[in-house]
Amino acid sequence: MSSAEALPAAEAPVSSAEALPAAVAPATRVPLLTAANAPLTARRYFGNGDPGPIVAALATVPELLEVSLPFLSTVLGASALDARTKEIVIVRTSALQECRYCVDAHSVVALDTGLSVAEVRTLTATGPVSLPDAREAALLAWIDAVAGTIGPVADSVAARLGTTFRDHEIVELTMLIGATMMLNRFCTALSLPTSPEVAARLSEQGLR
Amino acid sequence: MTTIAEAVGAGELPGRVWMYSNYHCNLACSYCLTESGPGVSRRELTGERMIEVARDAAELGFTALGVTGGEPFLLPDMAHTLAELGSILPTIGLTNGTLFTGRRLAAAEEMAGTDVTLQISLDSADPDINDAARGPENFAKVIAAIPALVERGITVRIATTGGEPEPEAMARLCALHRDLGVPDEDHVVRPIINRGRAADAEMGVDVTELDLPAELTVTADGAFWSPFGPTVINGDLDTDLLLTRTTAPLRVPAETLLGLLQGRPAGTDSTLNIR
Repeated sequence: MSSAEALPAAEAPVSSAEALPAAVAPATRVPLLTAANAPLTARRYFGNGDPGPIVAALATVPELLEVSLPFLSTVLGASALDARTKEIVIVRTSALQECRYCVDAHSVVALDTGLSVAEVRTLTATGPVSLPDAREAALLAWIDAVAGTIGPVADSVAARLGTTFRDHEIVELTMLIGATMMLNRFCTALSLPTSPEVAARLSEQGLR
Repeated sequence: MTTIAEAVGAGELPGRVWMYSNYHCNLACSYCLTESGPGVSRRELTGERMIEVARDAAELGFTALGVTGGEPFLLPDMAHTLAELGSILPTIGLTNGTLFTGRRLAAAEEMAGTDVTLQISLDSADPDINDAARGPENFAKVIAAIPALVERGITVRIATTGGEPEPEAMARLCALHRDLGVPDEDHVVRPIINRGRAADAEMGVDVTELDLPAELTVTADGAFWSPFGPTVINGDLDTDLLLTRTTAPLRVPAETLLGLLQGRPAGTDSTLNIR
């Protein structure tokens, strides 16, 4: 989740939505493996040091890591969709799912991708939010319908998305929302920790 | 023929599959890889599960089985389970040899004439030296058990852990095992591996997977590169030699192991005599 509530008024979210409340994170619930105890098939992910808590947790079941990492890299990594669009999806979905770890980590990625601090605040706010660009506004409505509700998605929301995204992009966006939701629940349930570097960056940007 | 069978046949993959029947033990040896002892979590494989693994292994093309622990004979049906395993593939069962009296000795007779070999630990012909590492009265119990088992038609092998003794001590040890009915070819000497309790005590040789025989090893916690893999330190399972948590079907860890072996450089497992 976001800690945008602590932000100065001058930098309030661009939408009028209320910021998500802060939460105290419980201790991580599973061991996070290191290079020293990484299983044989997982070692390559630890070659450059700490691979992050998702990999470190998944490595306890190396056969899951073997299939999930390529999948997640394909869905979340570079693709036909531009990076800004993908980070909008990931940050907004994570905020709707109240995944503290994912919001923290991807707020930084979003900033690095070129989103502004104000835009990140908008995406992490509670309630309906929007962005000025019509294409991104349609996208946010789609994300909120897919990740913020259960049951069918309204035809009107789908039709609006269809005016600015092609079919294959809609498929990819929807898979990205779904994969992000899976990670959101994984990271939240296991209480994966935000790295000190990410926390420091968020503080520096006034996002904590 | 399966890929595994071809690899075993070609010598690319060791033919033996090991199983950790349990982790608890009536002893608490100073160099124990698994920190086994009377109070530890059992983490058992049931007899039924071990027989399933054995059938799976035979179907895949593995050629031999091994059972270790903990002390396997703390499980009440172990003699029967080993006899069943021996009917599937040649089987070696590791035991500290201290429990073969009364009902357990009588039950052991089920293994007579089967393709089961019991490997019993005996570290020295000197009771004091042996018992310092393995516990009080270990020597006396072992030298009573070995001939009792041999007399009942059970094949016994002796394993000495700690590296090659001095020549005079080795000569006395070999004379002892011959007296007990165990020939020279059934006496193996192996080093202490610096894992588990031995690592805590800074004993033994440092190894990586390149130094250890790549014998698929099934435990209640998953499948490992070697029977020297699922070690325990300070109560925590080592995962550095973990292959997969999945053990059924056995093909899953077996294929993972084979994949890792492709391109594996020559190791020191032969020169260190880690067997």
